[in-house]
Amino acid sequence: MTAPATYLDPVLLARIGDLALLARMVVDGFMHGMHRSRRVGLSLDFAEHRAYQPGDDIRRVDWRLYGRTDRFYVKEYEADTNAAVTFALDASASMDFGSGPVTKFTYGRMLVAALAWLSQRQGDRVGLVTFAGDLLEIVPPSTRHLRLILHTLGRARPGGAGQLRPMLDRAASLTTRAGVTVVVSDCYEDPVAVQKGVGSLRGRGHDVILFHLLDPAERDLPGDGAATFEDAESGELLPLRPESLREKYRAQVAGHRAELTRLLAQNGTDYVGLTTDQPLDVALHAYLEQRLATSRVR
Amino acid sequence: MGLGFLVPAFFAGLAALLVPIVLHLRHRERNQPRRFPSLMFLRRIPIRTASRRRITDWLLLLLRAAAVAFLVAAFSRPFLGSTVAETRSTPARAVVLLLDRSLSMSHAAVWPVALDSARQIIAGLAPADRIAVVLFDDEAEVAQPLSSDHGAALAAINAARPSSRGTRYASALRAARQILGGARGLVGEALVVTDMQRSGLSGLAGLELPADLGVRAILVAPALRPNAAVVGADVQRVSDGDRSRLLVAARVLSRDLGGPRRVRLALAVNGREAASREVSLPADGATMVTFDGVPMAAGRARATIALPADPLAADDTLHLVIPAEDALQVLVVAAPGARLEETLFLERALAIGHEPRFVVQRRSGAPLTTAALRNIAVVFLADTPVPAGSGGAALLAWVEAGGGLIEAAGRRLSSRPPAAAFLPGTIRGAVERMDDRGGAFGEVSLDHAIFAPFRGGGAAALGASRFLSYPRIEPATGAEVLARFDDGAPALIEKAQGGGRVLLLAAPLDAVTGDFPLQPAYLPFLRRLAIYASGHEARPPWNTSGESGLVPGSVRDPVISTPSGALLRPGADSTGRALALGEAGFYDVYEGRAAGEPVESFAVNAPAAESDLTPADARELLLGVQRGDSAQAVASEPPAPREREGRQRLWRLLLAAALLVLLVESVIANRGWRGMAETGLAAPPERSLS
Repeated sequence: MTAPATYLDPVLLARIGDLALLARMVVDGFMHGMHRSRRVGLSLDFAEHRAYQPGDDIRRVDWRLYGRTDRFYVKEYEADTNAAVTFALDASASMDFGSGPVTKFTYGRMLVAALAWLSQRQGDRVGLVTFAGDLLEIVPPSTRHLRLILHTLGRARPGGAGQLRPMLDRAASLTTRAGVTVVVSDCYEDPVAVQKGVGSLRGRGHDVILFHLLDPAERDLPGDGAATFEDAESGELLPLRPESLREKYRAQVAGHRAELTRLLAQNGTDYVGLTTDQPLDVALHAYLEQRLATSRVR
Repeated sequence: MGLGFLVPAFFAGLAALLVPIVLHLRHRERNQPRRFPSLMFLRRIPIRTASRRRITDWLLLLLRAAAVAFLVAAFSRPFLGSTVAETRSTPARAVVLLLDRSLSMSHAAVWPVALDSARQIIAGLAPADRIAVVLFDDEAEVAQPLSSDHGAALAAINAARPSSRGTRYASALRAARQILGGARGLVGEALVVTDMQRSGLSGLAGLELPADLGVRAILVAPALRPNAAVVGADVQRVSDGDRSRLLVAARVLSRDLGGPRRVRLALAVNGREAASREVSLPADGATMVTFDGVPMAAGRARATIALPADPLAADDTLHLVIPAEDALQVLVVAAPGARLEETLFLERALAIGHEPRFVVQRRSGAPLTTAALRNIAVVFLADTPVPAGSGGAALLAWVEAGGGLIEAAGRRLSSRPPAAAFLPGTIRGAVERMDDRGGAFGEVSLDHAIFAPFRGGGAAALGASRFLSYPRIEPATGAEVLARFDDGAPALIEKAQGGGRVLLLAAPLDAVTGDFPLQPAYLPFLRRLAIYASGHEARPPWNTSGESGLVPGSVRDPVISTPSGALLRPGADSTGRALALGEAGFYDVYEGRAAGEPVESFAVNAPAAESDLTPADARELLLGVQRGDSAQAVASEPPAPREREGRQRLWRLLLAAALLVLLVESVIANRGWRGMAETGLAAPPERSLS
């Protein structure tokens, strides 16, 4: 069963100014269309007993077993309830583009808000990093930071030239604890550089999901007649006829995405390509799939 | 009919033709650029950028270029006219050639160029043109009146020699105005061949020249003219027992030397080198050079201070006349029985100083006689009355013959006022100022020679003296009050008596009834008082060229030898005794014939400002000059204004053509008839994605 389109259509969602409400609507709508996740309560599932070692919390000692065996054992559970999920949102000027009513940045903001809400509901600690040529806003992961993240997202504005790889390197160095990093970017960078940036996160034990956002116009290069294209970040001008270059352009974009998919798969990174005309449930599904795949950690 | 241009320089504007071409080649879409997130992929697609450098709109380009060309041609003011006719209608010119012959023009690199320039001007004249030659320095001399005789003008130029005098362009332009004022019917032009020395510009402000008088400066001097000159000297004769020594400090000016220069400065006295100094002159600046003392006799001496010759040799030598040692004899007459201390301050003060030096004699009680007054320049009556009887008569005769008498009244005269008729005032008792802490000088005639040292702020020093008691004097008829106390009572009054001067001083000169002798103003006041009373006039060690000297009236049948060796015999009248000192060097005055020792000598040097060769801009020549009404009418009628305007009307047509072309260009460009620049594909190197 799929979620009702009303709750997940980005065009409709973009009209909602309150990100908290938006995120709640998206997650509720999304959950409404799914079976109850088996991850609920998962963190309390018993795993095994282990011999007590000095330094273990004595509250975890299984006193019943002590009564039976006269030895100290502690209980262990399968749990990752406190995984830190950091959302890295690209706020460079190239994200401020939309051929329709929803720009890439608006879409990315809604996506991050919804995912943060979803993560919070699952008991994760959520944090946020926005970046362009530098790290712009940093909200450290915490179970109490959802409101702050939504507020930060609400006042974030795209601008400036973006640098994905160094920003991912710096985001990786922000925390020493392994967690999940969700990168939302239009990935205007060489795929190899993106792979290396993601590799920095992976190298610190992060699970990474990269949402690659594209506007349909970026993918298709519409338009006829001579026009001068202006680079949103550098201001460079390029006079051309789109119709004469369209096919080659599409091939370039497709090749870029394919290369990203291939290289990130080598890293063990989930790559999700999205266009801003797609409903948000695609992203949510992908996110949950990834979380399920990596949840069983001790 | 030929086509000419009034302002052909505007054709340089044709370079603007490049503007439309460059704009065309650099043409960008005029529509708003389409914002796109990134051109990363588009840049990877090879675009045949060469097509952007191709001219795609020849029509537009030609229209724009034509518009620029029309504008340039319009601004060049084309005109139509017959060359022959124009030549015929050109009126003859009246050219005044003003040749600067001041000292600075005698620079080795300037004078030959100036002569050549003058000759070229004459050679370039049309046969009908008239020319006058004026040689000027600080005065103008018409060497050749306005005439068509170009040969005579050339001869006047060839005969010109640089002088030793300063520069004044105003005098030259006045001469040109005067000459051209009489040349009616000609187009007047004044050509100034000069080095444009800045110091010559003074006096131009307010000069009025006819509006149609063209003035053009022809610069003949290089931008930098290194020069060193001796521009001044301080000379002091110091008595050393029976002998005297000459102390000389010379001021040397250096300009544009390019770096410090070591030179030898020589002092010659009476033709013999007496001292020399090696000095390092700065590239730009003034240097004071002090020579060692030179022993010399008491008589008058002629001296020169000379630098090694440089391209401007005329200012390398400074000429000086050192006057004979002259000490003014001062007779201080003290009251009978007066103590020595009463006149101590007076005598000591007069004994200090030189130029002139005072030799003080003191006399007390002894009667004054004609013999005693012989050779005396000033008599100080120190609080003692004018002697009665023969002494008084001798004193009066001496004063009327030119002597200077100073009656310094004090306590004695306050109590027993004298009754001398020729004193400038009458003493009426004393003014006691003990109660108000003493009186002081009040109103003082600072413009009087006696108070010259106290001008410019020095009056405060004069007012610092306090007088507890002083005589109350009443000026006589015809006497002039030179100073008053602060209560209004006269402090110093003067009256001429025959050829001499009589002064009555009420300010006590002792330290008993005041502190005047203890104040700084005492010494300069007394010296100036004595000098003024004596009538002594110090002659400067040199005159500036252009000034005049006065041959002493005592010289009978004077003969004057000039620096150039010429002999002059001035007339016997007073006018003839005024000697024009035009050349730098020594003018010697002889009696009867030019042989033996001269009875008088004058040293003449060029103005110091003439050694500063800093040039001015040629445009400054007319700075401050007022243009009056046209002074002359042109004889041969030029084309009427309407006709002349008609011949020059082409610029309007060209301007209209330019506007028309721009209009067409706008229509074509805005209606989109222009071809679109193509972008295409080529095969430049492609970047790898991986």
